Amino acid sequence: MKRLKYPLYFSFPAIAVFLLFFITPTIIGVYYSFTDWNINADAIKFIGLDNYVELFKEPRLKQAFINTIIFAAAVTVLQNVTGIALALILNEKLKSRNLLRMIFFMPYVIAPLVIGYIFRAIYHPGHGIVNQFLDLIGLDFMMQDWLNDPKYALFTIIITDIWRVAGFSMVVYLAGLQFIPKDLIESSSIDGANYWSRFRHIVFPLLAPAFTVNVLLAMIGSMKVFEIVMVLTEGGPGYTTEVFYTLIRTTFSSGEMGYATAVNMLLFAFVSLVGVPVLMMMKKREVEM
Amino acid sequence: MTRRSSLIALEIVAIALALLILIPFFMILVNSFKGIRESALFGLSLPTTWEFGNYKDVFKQDNIIRGFKNSFLISGLTVVCVNLFAAMSAFIIQRRGGKFLNGVYLAFIMGLIVPVSIIPTIKLMNDLHIKGTYFSIIMYYSAVLLPFAVFLLVGFMKSIPRELDEAALLEGCGYFRLFFRIILPLISTVLVTVSIVVIVSVWNDFFGPFYLVTDSTKWTIVLQVFNFVTLYSTNWGVVFAFMIVVITPVLVIYLFLQRYIIDGLTAGSMKG
Repeated sequence: MKRLKYPLYFSFPAIAVFLLFFITPTIIGVYYSFTDWNINADAIKFIGLDNYVELFKEPRLKQAFINTIIFAAAVTVLQNVTGIALALILNEKLKSRNLLRMIFFMPYVIAPLVIGYIFRAIYHPGHGIVNQFLDLIGLDFMMQDWLNDPKYALFTIIITDIWRVAGFSMVVYLAGLQFIPKDLIESSSIDGANYWSRFRHIVFPLLAPAFTVNVLLAMIGSMKVFEIVMVLTEGGPGYTTEVFYTLIRTTFSSGEMGYATAVNMLLFAFVSLVGVPVLMMMKKREVEM
Repeated sequence: MTRRSSLIALEIVAIALALLILIPFFMILVNSFKGIRESALFGLSLPTTWEFGNYKDVFKQDNIIRGFKNSFLISGLTVVCVNLFAAMSAFIIQRRGGKFLNGVYLAFIMGLIVPVSIIPTIKLMNDLHIKGTYFSIIMYYSAVLLPFAVFLLVGFMKSIPRELDEAALLEGCGYFRLFFRIILPLISTVLVTVSIVVIVSVWNDFFGPFYLVTDSTKWTIVLQVFNFVTLYSTNWGVVFAFMIVVITPVLVIYLFLQRYIIDGLTAGSMKG
């Protein structure tokens, strides 16, 4: 049989859109990050590494960098822990499990911006239901100004995001659980393995593909966090919840385009550095499987 | 503990956790029926007097209907672009292979993880004289979502036997007919998944239109929420009513499609 000649031009529309509207801005972004491009100036001048030098001197960037790492690490861990726990619970034969699965995924389909506004009301220091509830059950000493206290603000945002994304991880883990042969579980319980050792030695290793997918998606998604932080704290109080995208927003609104682009490039480098190796590992394993 | 009673205990824990998810929704729902003073307290109690006028105030705003229309138009056209372009290229990438297409595939995979450079994108749209048009925002979303769709579709395309292509072409079928008549129907389930993910991402996105759409008549519904809260945050009853209006269609669609959403995530993640 002769080799079929699949027409190359079938791939052109996708390539054109991606090349023009994704790759091109990235490449011109590299150039603009080396300029003093400012909305108020007439000309754009090449200034070499000045933006980057300036950025690294700036405590705000350091703070944004640290916060993004803390946020991404905490969300990745907590999202996966709650995701696995929920999936294990809802994999049992509970009467309400279909309804519950549906409920846990619900927040994921709501716009993060809207979720931000809802939780701003929930964390209100005076009337918000978190503090009202703590007061009601006699834990009034735990009442805090959750979003305006530098000690708690980042933590509060992390918890809010877990509320939003835990159900997503749950679904991916539930899918992974379906691939575990039932007789494997049964034979191990006949052999007398208890729940924990069965989880550690059989269930968890077999969940590995779901785990990789979840970790990768959680990491990448959380490094690009924007709306929730913008609505809940705008990066404040001070710069205590500043992340890359809130920093880009403020430098952008003040008209410092070159500078804002440099921040964007750093985020680009940071995400690629973390994400690409993980993705390559995944792809390699996919071939082996 | 017996198996039965431990199951009951587990069910109670699960229901308690589900309440944590539901309470915020309940909070905005009850407060959307309260007057100015009462709604500012963000409580969970039922309204003392039911203020249905909040909803009337919401629908009096012309820009809300317009926001829905814009969201609908933009996400609809993005779905068409992403599905069509991604399916065509995934078909060729998987079937033809070779250095060039492998490179293209790799570039798409990179696009899956790295963030867009938003300010250069604004500049580019400006230089192309399409800034602020529907076309520019649809192209932006297509560029951002193509990687995911290509990735998913290439994976799925492997499961469609080449013998099918050979047979069809032998029968005198052209590549266009092969693709549109035979391949597309076979991948329709994955296209449903792609469509749902695209719709949810575009509908809920704030980042893109916030930077790319300056003309308020082209604002999507999420941008209208942002604008509305900034302007009217003195009356939370109305703000919450607006949120209910924005959330409800998404939730209704979700309830109808949740089986597909969850199956799609399953298929996608396990193949991916």
